[in-house]
Amino acid sequence: MAKNILILSMTRMGDMIQTTPLIKGLKKKHPNSKITILVTSDFANVVPLIPDVDDSIVIDFKQFGITENWKDQSWVKIYRYLEGCLERIKSSGYDLLVNLSHSKFSALMVGFLGVKNVVGFHCNGFGDRQTGHPWMQYFGIEVFNRTYNEFNLVEIFSGSGGVDVKGRKIEVVRPQSQSSVSKLIHGNDLLIGFQAGSSIEGRRWSTQSFAKLADMLIEKTNAKIIMLGVKSESKVAEEVINNTKNKNRISNLTGKTNLSQLAEVLEKCKYLVTNDTGTMHLAAALGTKILGLFFAHAHPYETAPFSPGHLIFQAGISCAPCSYGVHCSNIVCVEKVQPEHLLSAIENHILTQSWILPETINEDSEINVYETIFDNNSNFRLRSLVRHKIELDDLIRSCYTILWRVALEEKTYIDNFMVNSICENLLEEYDCSNLKLIDEQLIKKNLILKNISKLAQAGKNICSKIIKESPNSNENFEKIGQYGDQITDIDKKIEVMGLSNPEVKPLTDMFNKRKENIEGNNLCSMSAETRKFYGNLMSECELLREALQNCLKKLSDLQSCYISHNSINVAVPGR
Amino acid sequence: MDFFAQNLKCLQEQDPELAKRVSSCSFPNDINVIRSKDGLPVPQIAGVTLHSQYRPFEEGEKTTINFTFDQNRKTIVFGLGFGYHIQALLKKQLGSVTVVEPFMSVFRAFMTCMDIRSFLPRVRFRIGETPACLLSRLEKDKWNVFKHLPSIRIGENYYKRLDEGMKVRSLLDQRTLRVMVINPVYGGSLPTARHCSGALKNMGHEVATVDCEAFEQGFFSLKKVTNNKKKSEILSQNFMNFMGEIAAAKATEFQPDLILALAQAPLTPDAIQKLRALKVPVAFWFVEDFRILPYWNEIANSYDHIFTLQDGDFHDELKSKEVRDCYYLPQACFSDIHKPLTDENSHAYRADVSFMGAAYHNRVQSFPRLMDLDFKIWGQGWNLDTPLGRQVQNNNKRISTEESVKIYNAAKINLNLHSSSYHYGINPDGDFINPRTFEISACRSFQLVDNRKDLARMFKVGEEIISFDSLDQMRDQIDYYLIRPEERYTIALKSYNRVLNEHTMEHRMQELLIHVFLDRRSNLDSMDENERDPLAYCIEQAGENTELGQYLKQFKGQYPFSLKMVIDKIHQGEGSLDDKESIFLMMNQILKEDV
Repeated sequence: MAKNILILSMTRMGDMIQTTPLIKGLKKKHPNSKITILVTSDFANVVPLIPDVDDSIVIDFKQFGITENWKDQSWVKIYRYLEGCLERIKSSGYDLLVNLSHSKFSALMVGFLGVKNVVGFHCNGFGDRQTGHPWMQYFGIEVFNRTYNEFNLVEIFSGSGGVDVKGRKIEVVRPQSQSSVSKLIHGNDLLIGFQAGSSIEGRRWSTQSFAKLADMLIEKTNAKIIMLGVKSESKVAEEVINNTKNKNRISNLTGKTNLSQLAEVLEKCKYLVTNDTGTMHLAAALGTKILGLFFAHAHPYETAPFSPGHLIFQAGISCAPCSYGVHCSNIVCVEKVQPEHLLSAIENHILTQSWILPETINEDSEINVYETIFDNNSNFRLRSLVRHKIELDDLIRSCYTILWRVALEEKTYIDNFMVNSICENLLEEYDCSNLKLIDEQLIKKNLILKNISKLAQAGKNICSKIIKESPNSNENFEKIGQYGDQITDIDKKIEVMGLSNPEVKPLTDMFNKRKENIEGNNLCSMSAETRKFYGNLMSECELLREALQNCLKKLSDLQSCYISHNSINVAVPGR
Repeated sequence: MDFFAQNLKCLQEQDPELAKRVSSCSFPNDINVIRSKDGLPVPQIAGVTLHSQYRPFEEGEKTTINFTFDQNRKTIVFGLGFGYHIQALLKKQLGSVTVVEPFMSVFRAFMTCMDIRSFLPRVRFRIGETPACLLSRLEKDKWNVFKHLPSIRIGENYYKRLDEGMKVRSLLDQRTLRVMVINPVYGGSLPTARHCSGALKNMGHEVATVDCEAFEQGFFSLKKVTNNKKKSEILSQNFMNFMGEIAAAKATEFQPDLILALAQAPLTPDAIQKLRALKVPVAFWFVEDFRILPYWNEIANSYDHIFTLQDGDFHDELKSKEVRDCYYLPQACFSDIHKPLTDENSHAYRADVSFMGAAYHNRVQSFPRLMDLDFKIWGQGWNLDTPLGRQVQNNNKRISTEESVKIYNAAKINLNLHSSSYHYGINPDGDFINPRTFEISACRSFQLVDNRKDLARMFKVGEEIISFDSLDQMRDQIDYYLIRPEERYTIALKSYNRVLNEHTMEHRMQELLIHVFLDRRSNLDSMDENERDPLAYCIEQAGENTELGQYLKQFKGQYPFSLKMVIDKIHQGEGSLDDKESIFLMMNQILKEDV
């Protein structure tokens, strides 16, 4: 049981709010512990919003005025500052360190502090970044395999801290006082917040779209629009207002609220129309209904607000979301989502208190609309409201969810209940009339999985030989060298298999990620670990094959019931 | 009495190049020599009498009586006159004195009227040399400067520039300049470009290079695209424009204080104008023969400064085109690479006579006469199917600079025959000296070189270097020196000392910088002094005796010091990171904004 926990959270506001389920879980696991959170000065004001935090450490690099072309030789000042901070932290005697930052800096810091129990990225003695927990390894491969990921970052990070977030949502400490800003908002107006800015320009819905939506909401629902955001977003807000006809029903609070005041205003808003921003997560944590707009790199599966009852819009085009590292110069995705779509959703929600797919959107529209929900197992997921035709990737993505829930929790078998539940969801959310085609496509994929398994088996055998020979490694130096070459050759083939077949790349990437964590120079133990990883790869190939097979069978069964059920209706329309 | 003939003989012993220059001058009309009351000759120029008309020698003693000099510094005298003050100084102090005089006419009159034997060998005359040349080649130590005021009056402009040059040199020692070097796409000037960068870095400046050589393959591929000459020219022009854009982009990012383009750097006049628009000096070092490669014609007017291996006719032509500035800057060695090798596997390179270079016409014609010797040829373009081809050691493959150093080191005699595309043997009109001359000397290796007009400007021929005027003489010298290793060693050592003292790339770059900034001292004044020697600054900040200060000391002598240098060192290291190294890596991440 830890007594003194340090959480490194040198991220942005949204990320910090997304860690609240994990922090809550840690407090529950270690009820007598003191939790200290370490943040950068930019987001120090978020700390009071995070529940269960007892203390905080703020690192302020801004004081050094580092810019892109910073060439000041007085980096010695930074060195000394850093040295002082680190020594102070080190002397505080933390017994558990949870790193929720993704940066190499934080990983090096963890390495430096030398805390015995560490969760999250860290560096070994040689400065190499390591991942440790299987969920953290998964985080390392997820960004490169986004098509096949359904896990929200909240779940990934919580998983790495050994915290189960089933049914648990993000939360913040609610604002206590009535500030002058919230007093500006009078009466029983239907308040709808607009967060038109975002840290990355390419992720923004156009100001014209925001303006048009504002006018329609004002005219159709008599809403009052509140423009929100930080000072640097004022220009965007002004642009929105300038494009509207009903300026008197719009209040511009951009740059006029501190974080606590922003929270007060958000609490009063019924809805928030927002790009993927920190404000979105804050509002979701406060219970405000979100209409989230996810463009460019923003990926709803990763960063949708982690609580049920929100609506997410995303372009349904093949390049969305942008792949990791892509710099898109033709952001067409923002044009797919129309103000009318959002208006219709809000109008329906006002009437029914539920999210209904706007009538103007159908399976041919290039739009994805998701509702955030907890499924039958209390797992957070996105429910697709647009009934697209199911494709192989959709099935594989769902099967990966099954696979990772088993593999990352080090279980050994697939839970049928989970399979059934997922298949029911697929059938409900997708047009599954083309399962035969998917079945045919799967034959090839199964073959690939078998081939990877064969390679992994060969690798496993060689590892066993090395383990056998290693006590006499000096005598069998040449032989062991040959085995090493064979392993290198096998690993290259596995890597190529993954690269040439994106559907299996999450498995091969995971294999590589695990290998990155092998340390030391004991041939026998290194080989044993490698052998274990080959074993993991084999069982994951098998699990994926099994999941695909089971799901397809289940879907076919359900589909036939569904067809016959529909046929009855069609045959006897009058019933 | 006319001492000229007698003096010339003496001077030839000590400084043959100066002797040669003064011998080509006749006695100046504008100098009037009068007799002092005590019967000594005194020069008068433009109404100024340079010494006392009564007792010039006594005056010389009086003017020097209060001159205090530091024994550890070199004494420099500004102004020759007829040297009465110099004789007084020589009496006052031991050792040598350097005398700087801008006018050859004064020296000619001095040579005629005074007996030089009372000056030699303790006086070295530097006559008519540019301030930049003087300041870059004279030792960096601070000087004891004695100013002969009447001489200063008649050479006011020159001495003002010399003073200014000294200030510039001092500022250059204190500042880190940001120099952008634009390399050629390919060719012989590419190593020179690299040596320029290396030398500038050694001098503590920050260098960014535009590595045009990375586009070599593309450049030659373009040439093969079409046989249509017009189309091919369009493609070449577009390539040049493209390279110009690359240089401009790099310059915008790097914000240099000086841009230096080497010969064959792919820059059009438009591209040069773009670089000049950054309001920093743009210089061009044309390390080619202006008669063979005439493309300088098209771009000469675009640059702020053109540095050349040849003066004389070339400078006349450049001036007739009204270039902004042209300046003579000979080649040099880069002693980081060109150096004596003590222990290397040199067996393959050992030879009585070696030649390293390309198969120019004159070499192909001349070398068969050496085939009865242990003679090895290294280089490219040789016809391997001819008998001479049997001497070629490298199968015409490219020889790296490092390998050439091994070759120079391992040969008893390095033959250095300057190239010519049309002479049978030696180009009798050859003027500039190839880099190989300096490079072989920097390896403390012995060479025989064909005589060039500039050779005596750089070396004492016959003492520091041996030259030949004909192929017969070349063969005779080979036969003579092959059996005299001690003589070879003595000459090579003197040659080595001379190049290290005056002809390294650092000397050339210093000369170039002094010349460029002579009229731009304000640019240097305005630079932040903290930029000078970042390591010393960081050690001071860290505290010299702290652990961090001690750690940083290991980077002394590595220029220019930067945080990146520390990070690279950590990355190259082995074993676990210690706390300091971890903090450095973290700080590196902070500066990369990865936090």
